[in-house]
Amino acid sequence: MNEQSNHNLSESDLIKGCIAGNRQMQEILYYQFSPKMYGVCLRYSGNVEDANDLLQEGFIKIFRNLEKFRADGSFEGWMRRIFVNTSIEHFRKKVKLYNVTEVQENTIEDDELNILDSMAEKDIILLVNELSPGYKAVFNMHVIEGYSHKEIAAILGITEGTSKSQLARAKGVLKKSVEKRMNRTSGDIINT
Amino acid sequence: MQNYKDRLYNHEATPPPEIWDTISAGLENKGGRIFPMNALRRRSKFIFYGLTAAASLLIIFISSVIFNKSGDNANSKNSQLTENNIGTQKVNDSLTQNNKTLAAIIKSSKDKNPGINNEDDNSISKVKKYITIEGPEGQPVKISPKVATLIESADNEYPPKPVWSKKIDKWKQIMLSSTISLTSTSLLDIAQLSASLDNNE
Repeated sequence: MNEQSNHNLSESDLIKGCIAGNRQMQEILYYQFSPKMYGVCLRYSGNVEDANDLLQEGFIKIFRNLEKFRADGSFEGWMRRIFVNTSIEHFRKKVKLYNVTEVQENTIEDDELNILDSMAEKDIILLVNELSPGYKAVFNMHVIEGYSHKEIAAILGITEGTSKSQLARAKGVLKKSVEKRMNRTSGDIINT
Repeated sequence: MQNYKDRLYNHEATPPPEIWDTISAGLENKGGRIFPMNALRRRSKFIFYGLTAAASLLIIFISSVIFNKSGDNANSKNSQLTENNIGTQKVNDSLTQNNKTLAAIIKSSKDKNPGINNEDDNSISKVKKYITIEGPEGQPVKISPKVATLIESADNEYPPKPVWSKKIDKWKQIMLSSTISLTSTSLLDIAQLSASLDNNE
Protein backbone atom coordinates (compact mmCIF):
# COMPACT_ATOMS: atom_id res chain seq x y z
CA MET A 1 0.00 0.00 0.00
CA ASN A 2 1.55 3.31 -1.02
CA GLU A 3 1.77 6.53 0.97
CA GLN A 4 -0.86 8.28 -1.21
CA SER A 5 -3.50 5.71 -0.34
CA ASN A 6 -2.46 5.92 3.35
CA HIS A 7 -3.25 9.62 3.41
CA ASN A 8 -6.63 9.02 1.79
CA LEU A 9 -7.65 6.65 4.54
CA SER A 10 -9.70 8.25 7.29
CA GLU A 11 -9.18 7.27 10.92
CA SER A 12 -12.58 5.58 11.06
CA ASP A 13 -11.82 3.55 7.91
CA LEU A 14 -8.55 2.53 9.43
CA ILE A 15 -10.25 1.48 12.65
CA LYS A 16 -12.94 -0.44 10.75
CA GLY A 17 -10.27 -2.21 8.69
CA CYS A 18 -8.36 -3.11 11.83
CA ILE A 19 -11.50 -4.45 13.52
CA ALA A 20 -12.15 -6.57 10.39
CA GLY A 21 -8.70 -8.07 10.90
CA ASN A 22 -7.13 -6.51 7.82
CA ARG A 23 -3.41 -6.91 8.48
CA GLN A 24 -2.45 -4.07 6.13
CA MET A 25 -4.74 -1.66 7.95
CA GLN A 26 -3.31 -2.77 11.25
CA GLU A 27 0.18 -2.18 9.91
CA ILE A 28 -0.75 1.34 8.75
CA LEU A 29 -2.27 2.13 12.13
CA TYR A 30 0.82 0.78 13.85
CA TYR A 31 3.24 2.89 11.78
CA GLN A 32 1.04 5.94 12.21
CA PHE A 33 0.88 5.85 16.00
CA SER A 34 3.86 3.80 17.10
CA PRO A 35 6.36 6.73 17.37
CA LYS A 36 4.09 8.63 19.77
CA MET A 37 3.21 5.55 21.77
CA TYR A 38 6.85 4.50 21.86
CA GLY A 39 7.60 7.92 23.37
CA VAL A 40 5.05 7.21 26.12
CA CYS A 41 6.55 3.78 26.73
CA LEU A 42 10.07 5.20 26.96
CA ARG A 43 8.94 7.84 29.42
CA TYR A 44 7.39 5.32 31.77
CA SER A 45 9.84 2.47 31.42
CA GLY A 46 13.08 4.40 31.28
CA ASN A 47 14.82 1.78 29.18
CA VAL A 48 14.53 0.56 25.61
CA GLU A 49 14.01 -3.14 26.40
CA ASP A 50 11.00 -2.52 28.62
CA ALA A 51 9.69 0.11 26.19
CA ASN A 52 9.78 -2.45 23.36
CA ASP A 53 7.78 -4.89 25.47
CA LEU A 54 5.29 -2.22 26.42
CA LEU A 55 4.81 -1.14 22.81
CA GLN A 56 4.22 -4.69 21.67
CA GLU A 57 1.85 -5.49 24.52
CA GLY A 58 -0.02 -2.20 24.12
CA PHE A 59 -0.62 -2.60 20.38
CA ILE A 60 -1.84 -6.16 20.76
CA LYS A 61 -4.29 -4.94 23.42
CA ILE A 62 -5.42 -2.17 21.09
CA PHE A 63 -6.00 -4.47 18.11
CA ARG A 64 -7.85 -6.99 20.24
CA ASN A 65 -10.06 -4.36 21.92
CA LEU A 66 -10.57 -1.94 19.06
CA GLU A 67 -14.30 -2.67 18.82
CA LYS A 68 -14.63 -1.30 22.37
CA PHE A 69 -13.49 2.14 21.22
CA ARG A 70 -16.37 4.60 21.22
CA ALA A 71 -15.83 7.60 19.02
CA ASP A 72 -16.83 10.06 21.78
CA GLY A 73 -13.19 10.94 22.42
CA SER A 74 -10.00 11.12 20.38
CA PHE A 75 -8.62 7.84 19.16
CA GLU A 76 -5.09 8.87 20.06
CA GLY A 77 -6.22 9.73 23.60
CA TRP A 78 -7.82 6.28 23.92
CA MET A 79 -4.68 4.63 22.66
CA ARG A 80 -2.49 6.68 24.97
CA ARG A 81 -4.60 5.71 27.95
CA ILE A 82 -4.16 2.05 27.06
CA PHE A 83 -0.40 2.55 26.83
CA VAL A 84 -0.26 4.43 30.12
CA ASN A 85 -2.28 1.70 31.83
CA THR A 86 -0.11 -0.99 30.28
CA SER A 87 3.00 0.85 31.48
CA ILE A 88 1.58 1.28 34.98
CA GLU A 89 0.56 -2.37 35.08
CA HIS A 90 4.07 -3.31 34.04
CA PHE A 91 5.50 -0.89 36.58
CA ARG A 92 3.27 -2.21 39.38
CA LYS A 93 4.55 -5.72 38.72
CA LYS A 94 8.05 -4.49 39.34
CA VAL A 95 7.65 -1.89 42.06
CA LYS A 96 5.30 -1.84 44.99
CA LEU A 97 4.35 1.56 46.27
CA TYR A 98 3.61 1.71 49.95
CA ASN A 99 1.26 4.22 51.48
CA VAL A 100 3.28 6.55 53.58
CA THR A 101 2.23 8.77 56.40
CA GLU A 102 1.31 12.04 54.85
CA VAL A 103 3.96 14.60 55.62
CA GLN A 104 4.03 18.23 54.74
CA GLU A 105 6.32 18.39 51.78
CA ASN A 106 7.90 21.58 50.56
CA THR A 107 5.72 22.21 47.60
CA ILE A 108 7.62 22.97 44.46
CA GLU A 109 5.63 24.98 42.07
CA ASP A 110 5.61 23.96 38.45
CA ASP A 111 7.13 27.34 37.63
CA GLU A 112 10.31 26.30 39.36
CA LEU A 113 10.69 23.55 36.82
CA ASN A 114 10.18 25.90 33.91
CA ILE A 115 13.92 25.88 33.52
CA LEU A 116 13.31 22.56 31.80
CA ASP A 117 11.73 24.49 28.93
CA SER A 118 15.17 25.67 27.88
CA MET A 119 16.55 22.18 27.77
CA ALA A 120 16.60 19.80 24.85
CA GLU A 121 13.85 17.21 24.76
CA LYS A 122 16.39 14.37 24.91
CA ASP A 123 17.93 15.83 28.08
CA ILE A 124 14.56 16.27 29.76
CA ILE A 125 13.73 12.64 29.02
CA LEU A 126 17.07 11.61 30.53
CA LEU A 127 16.41 13.63 33.68
CA VAL A 128 12.92 12.19 34.09
CA ASN A 129 14.25 8.71 33.58
CA GLU A 130 16.76 9.26 36.37
CA LEU A 131 13.84 9.44 38.81
CA SER A 132 12.95 6.35 40.80
CA PRO A 133 10.09 4.29 39.26
CA GLY A 134 7.54 5.49 41.82
CA TYR A 135 8.39 9.17 41.40
CA LYS A 136 8.56 8.83 37.66
CA ALA A 137 5.12 7.23 37.39
CA VAL A 138 3.42 9.88 39.51
CA PHE A 139 5.30 12.71 37.78
CA ASN A 140 4.41 11.43 34.31
CA MET A 141 0.80 10.79 35.18
CA HIS A 142 0.16 14.08 36.92
CA VAL A 143 2.43 16.59 35.22
CA ILE A 144 2.58 15.23 31.67
CA GLU A 145 -0.61 13.18 31.24
CA GLY A 146 -2.74 15.42 33.45
CA TYR A 147 -4.23 12.74 35.74
CA SER A 148 -5.62 14.00 39.02
CA HIS A 149 -4.22 12.69 42.30
CA LYS A 150 -7.48 10.86 42.83
CA GLU A 151 -7.09 9.03 39.52
CA ILE A 152 -3.45 8.28 40.21
CA ALA A 153 -4.35 6.94 43.65
CA ALA A 154 -7.00 4.68 42.11
CA ILE A 155 -4.74 3.39 39.35
CA LEU A 156 -1.67 2.84 41.51
CA GLY A 157 -3.59 1.62 44.56
CA ILE A 158 -2.24 4.29 46.88
CA THR A 159 -3.78 7.16 48.79
CA GLU A 160 -4.10 10.64 47.35
CA GLY A 161 -1.73 11.88 50.03
CA THR A 162 0.92 9.39 48.95
CA SER A 163 0.47 10.46 45.36
CA LYS A 164 0.93 14.11 46.32
CA SER A 165 3.97 13.43 48.45
CA GLN A 166 5.52 11.27 45.73
CA LEU A 167 5.00 14.07 43.25
CA ALA A 168 6.53 16.69 45.56
CA ARG A 169 9.57 14.50 46.11
CA ALA A 170 9.84 13.78 42.41
CA LYS A 171 9.82 17.49 41.64
CA GLY A 172 12.44 18.12 44.32
CA VAL A 173 14.76 15.47 42.90
CA LEU A 174 14.19 16.75 39.40
CA LYS A 175 14.92 20.33 40.44
CA LYS A 176 18.19 19.30 42.10
CA SER A 177 19.19 17.31 39.02
CA VAL A 178 18.46 20.29 36.77
CA GLU A 179 20.48 22.66 39.00
CA LYS A 180 23.38 20.24 39.10
CA ARG A 181 23.27 19.90 35.36
CA MET A 182 23.08 23.65 34.86
CA ASN A 183 26.07 24.24 37.18
CA ARG A 184 28.07 21.62 35.30
CA THR A 185 27.17 23.20 31.97
CA SER A 186 28.07 26.73 33.14
CA GLY A 187 31.35 25.39 34.55
CA ASP A 188 32.14 23.81 31.21
CA ILE A 189 31.42 27.09 29.43
CA ILE A 190 33.73 29.03 31.83
CA ASN A 191 36.51 26.49 31.39
CA THR A 192 36.32 26.73 27.62
CA MET B 1 9.51 27.80 22.82
CA GLN B 2 7.17 24.91 23.65
CA ASN B 3 6.41 24.05 27.27
CA TYR B 4 8.46 21.11 28.57
CA LYS B 5 5.21 19.35 29.48
CA ASP B 6 3.92 19.52 25.92
CA ARG B 7 7.28 18.47 24.59
CA LEU B 8 7.31 15.46 26.84
CA TYR B 9 3.69 14.69 26.04
CA ASN B 10 4.35 14.78 22.31
CA HIS B 11 7.72 13.12 22.52
CA GLU B 12 8.15 10.66 19.68
CA ALA B 13 10.70 7.96 19.04
CA THR B 14 11.09 5.38 16.29
CA PRO B 15 10.65 1.86 17.61
CA PRO B 16 12.83 -1.01 16.37
CA PRO B 17 11.43 -2.41 13.08
CA GLU B 18 11.16 -5.99 14.36
CA ILE B 19 8.44 -5.05 16.83
CA TRP B 20 5.76 -5.02 14.15
CA ASP B 21 6.72 -8.56 13.13
CA THR B 22 6.31 -9.67 16.73
CA ILE B 23 2.93 -7.92 17.00
CA SER B 24 1.80 -9.39 13.69
CA ALA B 25 2.85 -12.87 14.79
CA GLY B 26 1.05 -12.29 18.10
CA LEU B 27 -2.14 -11.27 16.32
CA GLU B 28 -2.07 -14.36 14.10
CA ASN B 29 -2.28 -16.78 16.99
CA LYS B 30 -5.31 -15.16 18.59
CA GLY B 31 -5.78 -17.75 21.29
CA GLY B 32 -2.08 -18.25 21.76
CA ARG B 33 -0.06 -16.67 24.48
CA ILE B 34 2.09 -13.74 23.47
CA PHE B 35 5.42 -13.48 25.09
CA PRO B 36 6.89 -10.03 25.53
CA MET B 37 10.22 -9.55 23.81
CA ASN B 38 12.00 -9.39 27.14
CA ALA B 39 10.42 -12.68 28.13
CA LEU B 40 11.51 -14.17 24.83
CA ARG B 41 14.98 -12.84 25.44
CA ARG B 42 14.87 -14.23 28.95
CA ARG B 43 13.55 -17.51 27.59
CA SER B 44 16.28 -17.65 24.95
CA LYS B 45 18.81 -16.79 27.64
CA PHE B 46 17.36 -19.56 29.78
CA ILE B 47 17.53 -21.96 26.84
CA PHE B 48 21.11 -20.87 26.15
CA TYR B 49 22.16 -21.32 29.76
CA GLY B 50 20.27 -24.59 29.96
CA LEU B 51 21.96 -25.90 26.84
CA THR B 52 25.33 -24.73 28.11
CA ALA B 53 24.75 -26.47 31.42
CA ALA B 54 23.57 -29.63 29.64
CA ALA B 55 26.59 -29.57 27.33
CA SER B 56 28.91 -29.06 30.30
CA LEU B 57 27.31 -31.97 32.13
CA LEU B 58 27.61 -34.12 29.02
CA ILE B 59 31.28 -33.21 28.63
CA ILE B 60 31.91 -33.95 32.30
CA PHE B 61 30.06 -37.27 31.98
CA ILE B 62 31.94 -38.29 28.82
CA SER B 63 35.30 -37.24 30.24
CA SER B 64 34.57 -39.09 33.48
CA VAL B 65 33.68 -42.22 31.48
CA ILE B 66 36.88 -41.88 29.44
CA PHE B 67 38.97 -41.28 32.55
CA ASN B 68 37.34 -44.21 34.29
CA LYS B 69 38.19 -46.45 31.36
CA SER B 70 41.77 -45.27 31.27
CA GLY B 71 41.80 -45.60 35.05
CA ASP B 72 40.61 -49.19 34.71
CA ASN B 73 43.36 -49.84 32.19
CA ALA B 74 45.86 -48.25 34.51
CA ASN B 75 44.44 -50.27 37.38
CA SER B 76 44.64 -53.47 35.36
CA LYS B 77 48.20 -52.53 34.44
CA ASN B 78 48.86 -51.75 38.05
CA SER B 79 47.29 -55.01 39.09
CA GLN B 80 49.42 -56.79 36.52
CA LEU B 81 52.41 -54.97 37.84
CA THR B 82 51.35 -55.81 41.35
CA GLU B 83 50.93 -59.43 40.37
CA ASN B 84 54.35 -59.29 38.78
CA ASN B 85 55.68 -57.66 41.90
CA ILE B 86 54.04 -60.34 44.01
CA GLY B 87 55.57 -62.96 41.73
CA THR B 88 58.95 -61.29 42.01
CA GLN B 89 58.48 -61.02 45.73
CA LYS B 90 57.66 -64.73 45.92
CA VAL B 91 60.76 -65.57 43.89
CA ASN B 92 62.83 -63.30 46.11
CA ASP B 93 61.36 -64.90 49.20
CA SER B 94 62.05 -68.29 47.76
CA LEU B 95 65.60 -67.28 46.91
CA THR B 96 66.14 -65.91 50.38
CA GLN B 97 64.89 -69.12 51.88
CA ASN B 98 67.06 -71.16 49.51
CA ASN B 99 70.05 -69.10 50.45
CA LYS B 100 69.30 -69.53 54.11
CA THR B 101 68.99 -73.26 53.62
CA LEU B 102 72.24 -73.47 51.70
CA ALA B 103 74.00 -71.26 54.18
CA ALA B 104 72.79 -73.51 56.98
CA ILE B 105 74.05 -76.62 55.12
CA ILE B 106 77.41 -75.02 54.53
CA LYS B 107 77.64 -74.05 58.14
CA SER B 108 76.59 -77.47 59.29
CA SER B 109 79.21 -79.13 57.10
CA LYS B 110 81.90 -77.36 59.07
CA ASP B 111 80.90 -79.47 61.97
CA LYS B 112 82.99 -82.64 61.78
CA ASN B 113 80.46 -84.73 63.60
CA PRO B 114 77.38 -84.95 61.50
CA GLY B 115 75.71 -87.33 63.90
CA ILE B 116 75.13 -84.58 66.41
CA ASN B 117 72.00 -82.69 65.80
CA ASN B 118 73.01 -79.16 66.44
CA GLU B 119 70.95 -76.03 66.17
CA ASP B 120 71.83 -75.52 62.50
CA ASP B 121 70.42 -78.88 61.53
CA ASN B 122 67.34 -78.00 63.37
CA SER B 123 67.29 -74.69 61.66
CA ILE B 124 67.56 -76.43 58.27
CA SER B 125 64.70 -78.69 59.04
CA LYS B 126 62.84 -75.78 60.46
CA VAL B 127 63.58 -73.51 57.53
CA LYS B 128 62.74 -75.80 54.66
CA LYS B 129 62.75 -79.44 53.66
CA TYR B 130 63.21 -78.63 50.01
CA ILE B 131 64.49 -75.75 48.08
CA THR B 132 63.04 -74.47 44.85
CA ILE B 133 65.19 -73.92 41.85
CA GLU B 134 64.39 -72.75 38.38
CA GLY B 135 64.23 -75.50 35.78
CA PRO B 136 65.73 -75.33 32.27
CA GLU B 137 62.46 -73.91 30.94
CA GLY B 138 61.91 -71.60 33.82
CA GLN B 139 59.61 -73.92 35.72
CA PRO B 140 60.01 -74.17 39.49
CA VAL B 141 61.61 -77.43 40.65
CA LYS B 142 61.75 -78.61 44.24
CA ILE B 143 64.91 -80.46 45.17
CA SER B 144 66.62 -81.62 48.28
CA PRO B 145 69.03 -79.11 49.77
CA LYS B 146 71.87 -81.63 49.56
CA VAL B 147 71.34 -82.04 45.83
CA ALA B 148 71.13 -78.35 45.48
CA THR B 149 74.70 -78.06 46.72
CA LEU B 150 75.88 -80.00 43.65
CA ILE B 151 74.26 -77.68 41.18
CA GLU B 152 76.15 -74.81 39.80
CA SER B 153 74.23 -71.96 38.46
CA ALA B 154 74.94 -71.13 34.84
CA ASP B 155 74.50 -67.42 35.26
CA ASN B 156 76.16 -67.30 38.65
CA GLU B 157 73.15 -65.57 40.07
CA TYR B 158 71.08 -68.40 41.39
CA PRO B 159 72.00 -69.44 43.96
CA PRO B 160 74.45 -66.61 44.85
CA LYS B 161 77.93 -67.38 43.71
CA PRO B 162 79.95 -66.83 46.94
CA VAL B 163 77.99 -69.45 48.84
CA TRP B 164 77.93 -71.78 45.89
CA SER B 165 81.62 -71.46 45.13
CA LYS B 166 82.49 -71.91 48.73
CA LYS B 167 80.48 -75.11 48.82
CA ILE B 168 82.02 -76.44 45.61
CA ASP B 169 85.51 -75.74 46.89
CA LYS B 170 84.71 -77.53 50.10
CA TRP B 171 83.47 -80.58 48.21
CA LYS B 172 86.60 -80.61 46.08
CA GLN B 173 88.74 -80.65 49.17
CA ILE B 174 86.69 -83.46 50.67
CA MET B 175 86.98 -85.50 47.47
CA LEU B 176 90.74 -84.99 47.28
CA SER B 177 91.33 -85.89 50.89
CA SER B 178 89.06 -88.94 50.82
CA THR B 179 90.77 -92.38 50.70
CA ILE B 180 87.78 -93.95 49.05
CA SER B 181 87.99 -91.70 46.17
CA LEU B 182 89.85 -92.82 43.04
CA THR B 183 93.52 -91.85 42.80
CA SER B 184 96.33 -92.87 40.38
CA THR B 185 97.85 -95.37 42.91
CA SER B 186 94.55 -96.89 43.78
CA LEU B 187 93.91 -97.42 40.10
CA LEU B 188 97.12 -99.53 39.82
CA ASP B 189 96.03 -101.52 42.84
CA ILE B 190 92.77 -102.27 41.16
CA ALA B 191 94.58 -103.34 38.01
CA GLN B 192 96.85 -105.66 40.01
CA LEU B 193 93.90 -107.11 41.88
CA SER B 194 92.05 -107.87 38.71
CA ALA B 195 95.22 -109.51 37.20
CA SER B 196 95.67 -111.78 40.24
CA LEU B 197 92.05 -112.77 40.07
CA ASP B 198 92.50 -113.74 36.46
CA ASN B 199 95.56 -115.83 37.38
CA ASN B 200 93.69 -117.61 40.11
CA GLU B 201 91.04 -118.64 37.68
